[in-house]
Amino acid sequence: MLQILEQYTLLLQYTLIFSSVLLLVALGGCFSEHSGVINLGLEGIMVIGALGGALFMYYFQDKLTGFPMIALTVLTSVACGVLYSALLGVACINFKADQTIVGTALNMLGTAAATVIVKAVNLARDGKPSDELIYRLGRSSFIKGLNFGETNFEFNWFMAIAVVMLIVAYVVLYKTKFGLRLMSCGEHPQAAASVGISVYKMRWSGVLISGAYGGLGGICYIMAGGGTWHFSYGVAGFGFLSLAVMIFGQWKPGKIALAALLFGVFRALSNVNGSISLLSSLNLPPTVYNMLPYIVSLIVLAFTSKKSRAPKAEGIPYDKGQR
Amino acid sequence: MEQVTTQASEPYVIEMLHITKEFPGIKANDDITLQLKRGEIHALLGENGAGKSTLMSVLFGMYQPEAGEIRKDGKVVQIKDPNVATELGIGMVHQHFKLVECFTVLDNIILGIEPNTLGFLKKADARAKVLELSKHYGLQVDPDAKVEDISVGMQQRTEILKMLFRDNEILIFDEPTAVLTPQEITELMQIMNNLKKEGKSILFISHKLNEIMEVADRCTVLRKGKYIGTVNIADTTKEELSRMMVGRNVNFHVQKEEAKIGEAVLKVRNMTVASKVHKNNAVKHVSFDVHAGEILCIAGIDGNGQTELVHGITGLEPLVSGSITMCGMDISKTSIRKRSVMGMSHIPEDRHKHGLVLDYTLEDNLILQRYFTPEFTNKAGFLRRKNIRSYANRLIEQYDIRSGQGPITLARSMSGGNQQKAIVAREIDKNPELLVAVQPTRGLDVGAIEYIHSQLVAQRDAGKAVLLISLELDEVMDVPDRILVMYEGEIVGELDPKNTTQEELGLYMAGAKKDEVTVE
Amino acid sequence: MKLLKNKTFQSLISSLICIILGVLVGYIVLLIINAEGAGKAMITILKNFFVYPNAKMRMEYFGTVLVKMAPLLMCSLSVLFAYKTGLFNIGAAGQYCIGICACLFTALYLHWSWPLCLLSAVAAGALFGFIVGVLKSYRNVNEVISGIMLNWIALYITNSVLSLVKEPSSPYTYKLQGARGKAALLPQLGFVNQIFNNNKYITIAVPIAIAVAIIIWVVLEKTKFGYELKATGFNRNAAKYCGMAEKRNAILTLVIAGALAGLGASFYYQSGIEQWECTATSVPGMGFNGIAATFLGGLNPIGTIFSSYFLQHIKEGGTHIDTMKYSAQISDLISSVIIYLCGFVLFIKYMMNKITVKSEERKKERLAAAASAVNSNEKKGGDR
Repeated sequence: MLQILEQYTLLLQYTLIFSSVLLLVALGGCFSEHSGVINLGLEGIMVIGALGGALFMYYFQDKLTGFPMIALTVLTSVACGVLYSALLGVACINFKADQTIVGTALNMLGTAAATVIVKAVNLARDGKPSDELIYRLGRSSFIKGLNFGETNFEFNWFMAIAVVMLIVAYVVLYKTKFGLRLMSCGEHPQAAASVGISVYKMRWSGVLISGAYGGLGGICYIMAGGGTWHFSYGVAGFGFLSLAVMIFGQWKPGKIALAALLFGVFRALSNVNGSISLLSSLNLPPTVYNMLPYIVSLIVLAFTSKKSRAPKAEGIPYDKGQR
Repeated sequence: MEQVTTQASEPYVIEMLHITKEFPGIKANDDITLQLKRGEIHALLGENGAGKSTLMSVLFGMYQPEAGEIRKDGKVVQIKDPNVATELGIGMVHQHFKLVECFTVLDNIILGIEPNTLGFLKKADARAKVLELSKHYGLQVDPDAKVEDISVGMQQRTEILKMLFRDNEILIFDEPTAVLTPQEITELMQIMNNLKKEGKSILFISHKLNEIMEVADRCTVLRKGKYIGTVNIADTTKEELSRMMVGRNVNFHVQKEEAKIGEAVLKVRNMTVASKVHKNNAVKHVSFDVHAGEILCIAGIDGNGQTELVHGITGLEPLVSGSITMCGMDISKTSIRKRSVMGMSHIPEDRHKHGLVLDYTLEDNLILQRYFTPEFTNKAGFLRRKNIRSYANRLIEQYDIRSGQGPITLARSMSGGNQQKAIVAREIDKNPELLVAVQPTRGLDVGAIEYIHSQLVAQRDAGKAVLLISLELDEVMDVPDRILVMYEGEIVGELDPKNTTQEELGLYMAGAKKDEVTVE
Repeated sequence: MKLLKNKTFQSLISSLICIILGVLVGYIVLLIINAEGAGKAMITILKNFFVYPNAKMRMEYFGTVLVKMAPLLMCSLSVLFAYKTGLFNIGAAGQYCIGICACLFTALYLHWSWPLCLLSAVAAGALFGFIVGVLKSYRNVNEVISGIMLNWIALYITNSVLSLVKEPSSPYTYKLQGARGKAALLPQLGFVNQIFNNNKYITIAVPIAIAVAIIIWVVLEKTKFGYELKATGFNRNAAKYCGMAEKRNAILTLVIAGALAGLGASFYYQSGIEQWECTATSVPGMGFNGIAATFLGGLNPIGTIFSSYFLQHIKEGGTHIDTMKYSAQISDLISSVIIYLCGFVLFIKYMMNKITVKSEERKKERLAAAASAVNSNEKKGGDR
C-alpha cells in the first residue's frame, strides 16, 4: 500500500512540474496570439531562457542561496526570453516577415546558439568541449523536500511560480485596460486602431510577454530533469506541445491550466512508468510512454482544431495603410 | 481658385481647406474644401471612388494629407491619429463597423477610453453611463450581449454610442444606410435629427440622393477626387445633385426588351444550408425556379442567407437537405467542377477572396474555369501556353479589360473595375446555361455598373437563365424580371419589379410583410 | 536598373545579402568566443575541403559534400513543394527520419535489395506526409504543430525499430557494407568515383537528386498539376471556387513532400556513409536545414540545388575548425541566422522594387520634360 502511495506521489510530482512548464509556455503563446502574432519560436525562446538561468546558477551557485538565488535566476531567464523574443517582434511586426519562417529560424538558432555558448564556456573553464552545464547546487535552492508520513514529495518553487503567473495572466487579460486592448488587436486590429490604440505597441507587448513566459518555462523545464542539462538536446518539442495545450485550452488561461495538467500527466508517465506497478504490469515498451504526449496532442488537436476560437487576426501582419 | 476666408462670425465647427491626399498612382483627394456648420447635417455626396472615405479618414487622423489644413472652431489643428480626433470631439461610424465581434457591446464602447483605476477596469461606472446615454438618445442596446450575436441595427447603435460615450460633437456617418432596411433607415434619420437637436454637428456620407434630400441641410459633392461644389438642399433638386455627382445626366433605367421566358433551367426544392457563423441554418427550406431568358433577383438585407444560398447552389457548401436540379439533372451532390462543366457560371460576391488568384497573371486568371480542357492542357498534363495567350488576348479585346501589361499583368495590380470585368468575361465566355451573379457591381463606378448590367441583360436575351443576388435597391428595381425577397433564410415574397414600389420591397426585406411563396 | 526588376536577379541578390549577413554574425560570435583565431576559423568554414593541400584529398572531400548535399536537396525540395501549395512542411525532418527507419530496417533485417529499400523509405515518408495532410484537410490541424509532433513520434519509432539491427556493443546499427546489408547499397558511378579519388560513397543518388530538382521545377511551372498547386497556395478559396479538389491536392502535396524527404533518407543512408545511433535524442537536422535551403534558394527548385550545396559546404567546413577553440555547431548557427534573415526577403525585394519604380518615375519625368521642350520648340517653329 505504502509502495503504491510512493509511486503515485512521484507521478504527481512529475505531473506538477511538467504541467508548470506547459502552463507557463502556453500562457506565453496565449499572450502573443491574443495580440495577433503566432509565436512558433517558443521552443527557441525556452532554450535561450533556460540557458540564461542555467548560466546564472552556474556562475553564482557558490555565492547565493535561497530567495535571492531563485529571484535572480528567474529574472535572468525572463530577461533572456524577452530579449530573444524581440527578434520575432522586429521581423514579424515591423518588417511583416512570415511568422512561420521566423519562428522556425528562432527554434533552430536557439539550440545552435546555446550549444555554441555552453561549449565555449566549458572550453574556457577546463578545455573540454562539452555541451553540458552543471548547476546542481543552484538548483537545490528551488527544491524543498516535503515529507508526508513515509512518502517524500519534492516541491519545486516553479510550481508556485506557475500558479502565480496563471493568476497574473488571467487578471491582466480580463480585468485590465491593457488586456482589453491587447485582445482587440488580435481580433480586429483595424477596430483597435480606429479608437486610437497603437496596434504595433500592443503586438510588441504581446510578443515580449510571451518571451518572458517562454523563458520562465524554459528554465523550469531543464530543472525538472535534474542538476545538469545537455544544451544540444533543446527542449524536446515542449514549445510545440505548449502550443497544442494552448489550442486545447481555447486561448483561455483557466482552460489552458486544465489542459496543461492533462498533458503533464502523459509526459510524467514516461519518467515514472517503470516504477508504477500498474503500468509495468502492462509490459509496454518504454518508447510508447516517450511517444505518448506527442500522440495524445495529435489526437487532441484532431478533435479540437475544427471549431477553434483562435483570435481572428492572428498571423496576419498589420499594415497601417490597409483598412 | 475660390478664396476661403474664415471670419469669426461664421459658425463653422470644422473646416477642411484645400486638402490633397495622394496614394501611389492616384490622387484620392485633389484640393478639396469642406466646411461644416455647428448643428447642421452636412451630406458628402459622391460615387464609389470619388474620395469621400479618404477625406473622412484624413479628418479622423488615419491619413495625413500632403497639402491643405484642417481648422476646428477657426483654429488650425494637426490631426496625427484618431486619438487627436477624439480629443477634438470628432467621432466616426465607419461603413464597415469597427467592432470586435467576440467582445460585448459594453467592451466595444469603452475600448480605447476605458474608465480605470491604475489600469484596472471600472466596468460598473462605464455601464451606468452607457445605459444613461442609451436612454437619453433612444438608442436601445444590450450592453452585455456579444457583438457577433446582435443585429446589424444594434451594431450600428453601438457605434453611435461609442461616439456619444466619448462626448463627441462632430459625428461622421460613413454610408450608414447600406446595411439597413428601409424602416431602419427611417429610424436612423430620426436619430440623426435628434442628435442635431442636441447640438451635434453631423457629416453624412452617402451616394443615395433620396436620403440626402430627406435629412441633410447642405451637401458637398465630390467627383473623381475633385471638389465640385456645396449646395443648400432647400435650393436644389435630385437631378442637379446627380448631375454634379457623375458629371452628366445618368440613365437610371436599364434598357431591356420584354423577356421571353423559357423552360426552368434551375430548380431548387426545399433547400437547407447550414450557417458557418451560427448554429442555426442560414437557408431554411427554400424552393424556387430560374427560367431560361429571365433575370431572377434575390433581394434582401445583407446577411439574411443570400451568401449561403449561393454557396449551396454552386457547391461551395454542402446541403443539409433538399435538392437542386439543373437542366433536368439532379446536382444536389455534384462537385463544383462538374456543375461548372454542366453550364453553371458564378460571379462571386468577393472577387478577391474567391474570384481571382491575385498573384497569378491576368491570362492565368482567365483560364481558371477551363485550364483543364484539352484546349489548354495536353494529354501529358502540360499546359498549352500558346493557346492560353491567344485566348486571353481575345477576351481582353472582346470585353475591353484594361491593364498595364496585357495578359501577363498581375491581377493584383489591376483596378477593381477591370478585375471584375475579367471575372465577368471568364464566366460569360464559358457560354453558361445558368449565370449566378452575386453583387456583381459592388464597389464599381457608374460606367462599369452600366457595362455589367448590359452584359447580364445580353445573357438573358440570349436565352440564358440569370440569377442575380443584389443588396442595392436601385439594381433590384431596374435589372431583373422577377424578384424574390429573402428574410432570415426564407423566401418571404415574390414581386414583379414593374408593379411594386421601393417601400413595399422594404416591408418584405424587413420581415414586416410575408407571403407564402410556392412553386409547383 | 532593368536587372533589378528581374525576379531571378532579385532572389539572387536577396539570398546573397542573407548569406553575407549570416556569415558576418557567425564571425562576430567567433570573435566573442575567442578573438584570436576567429578569422582563421571563419575562413576554414568557408574553405571547407580546400583546406587540404592535396588535390586528390580535396576531390575526395568535395565528393563527400556532394553525398551529403543529395539528402539535403531532397528535404529542401520536400519543404519547397509543400510551400508552393501554402503548406509549411516542418514535418520533413520526421519524414526523413522514418525514411531512415524504413530503409535500414528493410536492408539490415529483411535483407532486401537497394531498389526495394529505397521504395520502402519513400513509402514511409509518404505515409507520414499523408497523416499531416489528412489532419490538415479534414481536421484543420495546423501542419506545423502536427509535423513537429510526428517528428518526435518518428524519432522514437526509429530508435526502437532499429534497435533490432543494432551492433551488440554500440548504440549504432550494423554497417551496410557488411554481409547483412550489402544488397541495399546504392550503385556507384564507376569512373565518376575515380574522379573523386575513389570516394566510394558517391552513388547514383547525387545525379538523381539533381534530376529530381529539375523535374519538380518542370512540374510546378509547366503542368496543369503545378498550376493547380500554386493556385491553391496563393488563394485556397479561389481554388475551391473554381472546382479544384483543394483538400485532395493538399494531401497529395504532402504525400509527395513526404516521399521526397523519405527518398533523401534513402539517398544518404543507403550510400553506407553513416549508421543510425539508436540512442538519438533528436531527429536529424537534415529536415530543418532543408527549410533553410528552400528559402535561401529563393523558393526555386533550381536555386535549391545551389543553396543546398552551400549550406552543406559550410556545415562540413564547420567540422574542420579547431574544436578545442570553437564548436562545430557554429555552422548550424550561421544557417539558422540565414533562415531568420530569409524572413526579410520580401522586404528586401520590396525595397528593390521601390528603387526601380522611383528611378523609372524620374526617367519618365525627364522624358516628359524633354518631350515638352521639343513640343515648345516645334510650336515656336510653327509660329515663325
